[in-house]
Amino acid sequence: MSAIRVENLTKRFGETVALDDVSFEIEAGEFTVVLGISGSGKSTLLRCVNGLTAPTSGRVVVDGDPVTSHRDDVAMVFQQHNILDGTSAYSNALSGALGRTNFLRSLLRFNDREDKLQALEALDMVGLLDEASQRAGRMSGGQQQRVGIARALVQNPQILLADEPVASLDPGSSQTVMRYLRGAAEERGLTAMISLHQVNLARQFGERFIGLADGRVVFDGYREDLTFDVIDDLYGGIDMEGFLSGNETDATVVQ
Amino acid sequence: MSTQLSLEQRLEEIRLTRRVRWILYGFLSLCFISAFYGSLLLIQFSVVDLYNQLPVFAERITNYTPNWMFILERNLPRESVITLAVGFAGTVIGLPLALLLGVLGSSRVTPFPLNFLFRGVMGVFRAIPSLVWFLMFIPLAGLSAVTATIAVVVSTIGNLGRLFTDELEEVEEGQIEAMKTTGASKGQTVVFGMISQVKTSFIAWTLYIFEVNVRTAVTLGLLGGSGIGEIIQVQQGLRAYGNMMAGIVVVLFLILAVEIISQRFRSYLRDDEETSGLVALLVGLPQRMVESALK
Repeated sequence: MSAIRVENLTKRFGETVALDDVSFEIEAGEFTVVLGISGSGKSTLLRCVNGLTAPTSGRVVVDGDPVTSHRDDVAMVFQQHNILDGTSAYSNALSGALGRTNFLRSLLRFNDREDKLQALEALDMVGLLDEASQRAGRMSGGQQQRVGIARALVQNPQILLADEPVASLDPGSSQTVMRYLRGAAEERGLTAMISLHQVNLARQFGERFIGLADGRVVFDGYREDLTFDVIDDLYGGIDMEGFLSGNETDATVVQ
Repeated sequence: MSTQLSLEQRLEEIRLTRRVRWILYGFLSLCFISAFYGSLLLIQFSVVDLYNQLPVFAERITNYTPNWMFILERNLPRESVITLAVGFAGTVIGLPLALLLGVLGSSRVTPFPLNFLFRGVMGVFRAIPSLVWFLMFIPLAGLSAVTATIAVVVSTIGNLGRLFTDELEEVEEGQIEAMKTTGASKGQTVVFGMISQVKTSFIAWTLYIFEVNVRTAVTLGLLGGSGIGEIIQVQQGLRAYGNMMAGIVVVLFLILAVEIISQRFRSYLRDDEETSGLVALLVGLPQRMVESALK
């Protein structure tokens, strides 16, 4: 049985069609990268898988159950990190356990010892164990995103979603964050769906690729199928050779 | 040639709008001046009368020299501590209720028409001044510090709750969504996703309301709510103006002390020097005082 099955998913925001009859299946344990330009429907797709956005028609089936609201075995890493700035990295990681902690205990920070250890373990996994007691708001963008990953891991998810997790990071931090995402997914055997618009990172880390354009699936395949032509189709007329070789001859602006 | 013409036209347009604006300003100034003049007539304000009264005022003001002995005779520091206690207890009792109503009043927590129920309650608490609340609660607890505290509690709920609600309207959606995706319950989402974003400003507003409440407690004392305010009121009634002035000086010190401490805390929160910690702040105090004295 597939881990994620998307069936004829359509989402409209007023007149705008964000997703147009999208269908695909993702097997358990696959590391999938969703590609496409801004506005192609990547975020909406991930949000539908997570139940943060309700589809106009069609449905998403996760682990045999149709998605109706957010579930704690689906974790999400956000583009804007969305970590709690005012608290420590450790508290942030621990907030991943909220779904299995009752209200009063979470309010008084009486978490299970196991959950506390797990929070530290997750921080260790993203290389932030020494920074555990640092205030999250004071960390660098890359570190904040790794805290976000740690929080997602503490959720003990089956599925890990990441919505452009590196869009606001510099190239070095982007690589680090992607490496930790890939590493965590492999170590825990998670099914992962990551949306990206950096083609080079996608090729470096992706296993399977789903390409979206104007809310439709225009590509679905594995690494060997992802040719320059496909990328050119997806991103519409970027000079791939010039882009990859860093050749600046065509870089002059023509009005 | 055509550009010349359009420049002329544009200049004419600008002059016209300027002229209209000047006429508007003139009209507004006229309204303002006549409103001010009307107010002065209504309150029968007369500089001449005040001037004529000046010698009498100068003669009487000598009676207003503070009678310093009274401070110890009547143990005014103890009375001001009672006033402080009214403000403090009122803030502490009002805080959880303000938090509850303030959070429920936010449209981010309670859906639109319902949240106005809670906002309405806070609005009523706020609309009636604490002096009037005091008068209303006299049948419950008499002319006492208890009644003053109840009045402070009610106004704390109204004012602090409203500040909390406003603060919550500004929180970012991202962290709320992030908490939802962890499978957090509604209550957990509110506490961790929303309140954690505004934690420091909540504390800062509470300290500010505490300052206001101590001032209110002084005023309620004038009505019979005990504490330093009542002393001032009684001495004024006895025409013992020296004693009254001694009480006012003590009030001045009380209010100043409360504000300095509260503002110190709030600036500490603003800088969010979490690393230096409160202990370091207290330990460092003598050193900083010496440093500033030597400057």
